[in-house]
Amino acid sequence: MITKYITAVSTAFSPFNARTGKTVRNFLALLPPNARSKMAIDVKMFGQAEAEKPASLSLKFKDGKEMPLDLEKMKLKDIQTEVDRHSRTLRRAEELAG
Amino acid sequence: MPPRLRLPPSQLRPARPRTQYVCWQCRHASLASATTPAPPLEQTIAAAPPIARYPPTQPPSYKPPEFRKSQLHRQYQSTLRSSPLILLFQHNNLKATEWSGIRRELSAALRKVDDDLAKNAGDNAYVGNGMKLQIVQTGIFASALKVVEFWDPNFEPEASTTHPTDPTTASSTSVEDTKPAARDPGFRHGLSAQAYQAATKNKALKHGLEPLLSGPLALLTFPDVSPQHLKAALSILSPGPDFPAPKRRVNPGYHEKAVHDGVQKLMLLGARVEGKVFDTQGARWVGSIEGGLGGLRAQLVAMLSGIGAGITNTLEAAGRSLYITVEGRRGMLEEEEKGGKEGGEEQPPSPPTSA
Repeated sequence: MITKYITAVSTAFSPFNARTGKTVRNFLALLPPNARSKMAIDVKMFGQAEAEKPASLSLKFKDGKEMPLDLEKMKLKDIQTEVDRHSRTLRRAEELAG
Repeated sequence: MPPRLRLPPSQLRPARPRTQYVCWQCRHASLASATTPAPPLEQTIAAAPPIARYPPTQPPSYKPPEFRKSQLHRQYQSTLRSSPLILLFQHNNLKATEWSGIRRELSAALRKVDDDLAKNAGDNAYVGNGMKLQIVQTGIFASALKVVEFWDPNFEPEASTTHPTDPTTASSTSVEDTKPAARDPGFRHGLSAQAYQAATKNKALKHGLEPLLSGPLALLTFPDVSPQHLKAALSILSPGPDFPAPKRRVNPGYHEKAVHDGVQKLMLLGARVEGKVFDTQGARWVGSIEGGLGGLRAQLVAMLSGIGAGITNTLEAAGRSLYITVEGRRGMLEEEEKGGKEGGEEQPPSPPTSA
């Protein structure tokens, strides 16, 4: 996953939800070790009782685009492809600009 | 002069059939019962356990025991069985320097708690030494947790039920346990085929931690449920409003860049306390118990003694009120009697009534 162009990650989820919690946690595990110095990461965790509360994950990119991701439908692979799709266009623009 | 007979010495012996020489004692060896050592006491009560076909240190394992994953499985089972309080963390790409910094700060904080406890409460257990922050292999840990939760063999070895005088005991009849099958019920170790079957057969059994067991996991294991130590650990690893991180002036080491970055990347997911699953809030609640388990016990004792006093008061109240009423009545009667006597001295005594 190309994480170079992400500037902000904000998420709210419950780790006790087997589906959305797992997706978000795996996404956070994909961020590089120096992610905290490069992007603003805001993680909010719900408890066990609120496991069914809808989780949210939204990203912000360098060009200002905001990308809210629907965790009910998307799994980690889908999120990766979505992020990569936008990141590749950003990378191409950067390369062309020199 | 008599003739000299040259006889071979063998012919000088008395005529007797030449058999092999057997000493006198050995002839009666079959009758010598006194020289047989007595059997050990336990063998006279129950028969000796059947011969094990596997060495006790190497019982048959379901998966090949020389694999690293088998040994990790065994190790995680032992960790789970020996630590009543476990915190689960997700570690997001921590670096080695960050891990070492976090471990250093954690052990320093725990040692401080231990010293405080030893000084103030006289508790010299030094539980903090046994606390360990370790990364686990998630899949193997999940499997080990299942075995620990759902496989409950009888760990006490049963005494042999065969009586020593039973004719089958001394014979070569195969007893059930001596069969060298790996699926023998006699094997009680966590890597046995029995354990594997018990953990994997029933998919409907849930221990509650399943959603947490994915991704990179780290465990903080406590050998004892000690809220003071938990509080110290939480203030280092997952600081929040109720567990503030140590101030920069008090503990400058905690505010180094490596430690600070590492703590940000550790996420507290939940806890397992005495087999029960707690979420983050629950873990914080356990850590916020004032005065630890001793304090909790003191609260309980105070509550129970309060209840006791209340009950005695309630039960006494009826008797006491009766006593007060009766005393009051007696006082009244005495007053009346006194008043009557004072009045009676002036009056002539009443004529005796006919009985």
